[in-house]
Amino acid sequence: MRNSEIAIALSKVTKFYQKFQALDNVSFEVKRGDFFAFLGPNGAGKTTTINCLTGLSNHQSGEIQVFGYDTTREYIHSRRLIGLCSQEFNFDPFLTLHQLLVYQAGYFGILPWEAARRADRLLERFQLTEKRNCKHRALSSGMKKRLLLCRALIHDPEILILDEPTSGCDLELKFLTWDYLTQLNKEGKTIFLTTHYMEEAEKLCKTIGIINHGRIVRIGDKKSVLQDKSLEAVFLEVTGPE
Amino acid sequence: MIINPVGTASLSKREILRFLSVASQTIFPPIVTSMLFMYIFGVALGQRIDFSRMGMTYLQFIVPGIMTMHLISSSYENTSSSLFIARWHNHIQEVLLAPLSYFEMVLGLLAGGVARGFLVVCGVFLAATIFVPVAIPHPVVLLYFILSISVIFACAGMIGALWAEDFSMLNLWHVYLIVPLIFMGGVFHPIEILPRSIQIISVFNPMYYLVNGMRYSMTGMTEVPLAQCVVFSFFMALLFFFVTVYLFKIGYKLRT
Repeated sequence: MRNSEIAIALSKVTKFYQKFQALDNVSFEVKRGDFFAFLGPNGAGKTTTINCLTGLSNHQSGEIQVFGYDTTREYIHSRRLIGLCSQEFNFDPFLTLHQLLVYQAGYFGILPWEAARRADRLLERFQLTEKRNCKHRALSSGMKKRLLLCRALIHDPEILILDEPTSGCDLELKFLTWDYLTQLNKEGKTIFLTTHYMEEAEKLCKTIGIINHGRIVRIGDKKSVLQDKSLEAVFLEVTGPE
Repeated sequence: MIINPVGTASLSKREILRFLSVASQTIFPPIVTSMLFMYIFGVALGQRIDFSRMGMTYLQFIVPGIMTMHLISSSYENTSSSLFIARWHNHIQEVLLAPLSYFEMVLGLLAGGVARGFLVVCGVFLAATIFVPVAIPHPVVLLYFILSISVIFACAGMIGALWAEDFSMLNLWHVYLIVPLIFMGGVFHPIEILPRSIQIISVFNPMYYLVNGMRYSMTGMTEVPLAQCVVFSFFMALLFFFVTVYLFKIGYKLRT
């Protein structure tokens, strides 16, 4: 890794969808080992930021770096370091869970026997072993959420990006996910989380960033952002009607 | 250049196993269709067509053309359907998020189209041996044309899949452009028997050069110089390959 201290760095990133400006000079940094909550109302620019960061969207100007690697010019290095747990269940419908994970590991350069070992371990960790040879259509939405996490973790990324990982989950799965994310963060993984659940962000995260209308409106460590208020109160204050 | 060989091999493997797992839909139908073509045009009608001045039977004349026709269709259909479905279900993201260069992504997807085309051509060739003695006097030339033609149309399939917005658009190029060009490119008849005006138009049909290259490899006969066919197919393959890599690089309909 070129820069071992700053995991994610966005500098003056601008993104337009035709005439609509989704990101307006967005700049912030996420330190290595941080648990970063990226909050904002619907359409504020959270998923767009994630897409630009992972290379799923092209940004018009500005720079994005992952551990010092430019995500446009050095995308092969930056992509190796990121695991994305997206919002939608976008799995190959023709593959079983195990095949899906083994292929995904393969794309990251992991040899088949090691990929199979990792896939089995993750399926067991997320209580999906029984469904190992099923296709994703046979899973409940909670199981699909867990499969998304398995896929994001199969190549053991340095940064885990989670786009609303617990939306639609029951309490048990929500707590299981929280425990696992906390454990991963303790092991040194940098976690970038978007969520609409304020208590989730407040409980898990060390740093909080809030985006509204494509602009960063508040960012800092949890204590400085909250200033003895609840996160919900701060969120409404900075994203509410002007 | 390949910098992630395991990743490229994984993608290639997935693409190849995808069509092999449904061989009854991807491999056998073109073989059955080609047998019907050979039976009707070769055995039934072909007996009445005198090709002795060309030193072969009519059936021997059409076999390389039929092989080319199915090679083109299979390569095109494989990549177009695979990539389009990946876009449709959005699991193309699995590939786009991976540390694969755009060159490697195209190479991996291409592998399925080339492999399917190769297997179908082998099947059609074996089926042809039931009806007529066929030989391969120029096997290197045959392999070259199988490879170049499958690369051209596997890439064309990817371009079509990127361009298409829905399933009806996906087959548009194949049905309204590629198939008519194949049929008019000398699969079933030599161009020289056509009226002069159509002969002139046929020279601009790219399939004409591909069919003739394949025919030369199996019969030693070609209506245009072999070198012309080789150079044409080589540059077409290069052009289509790099256009596809470029479309991946700019994220045409892949990235928002």
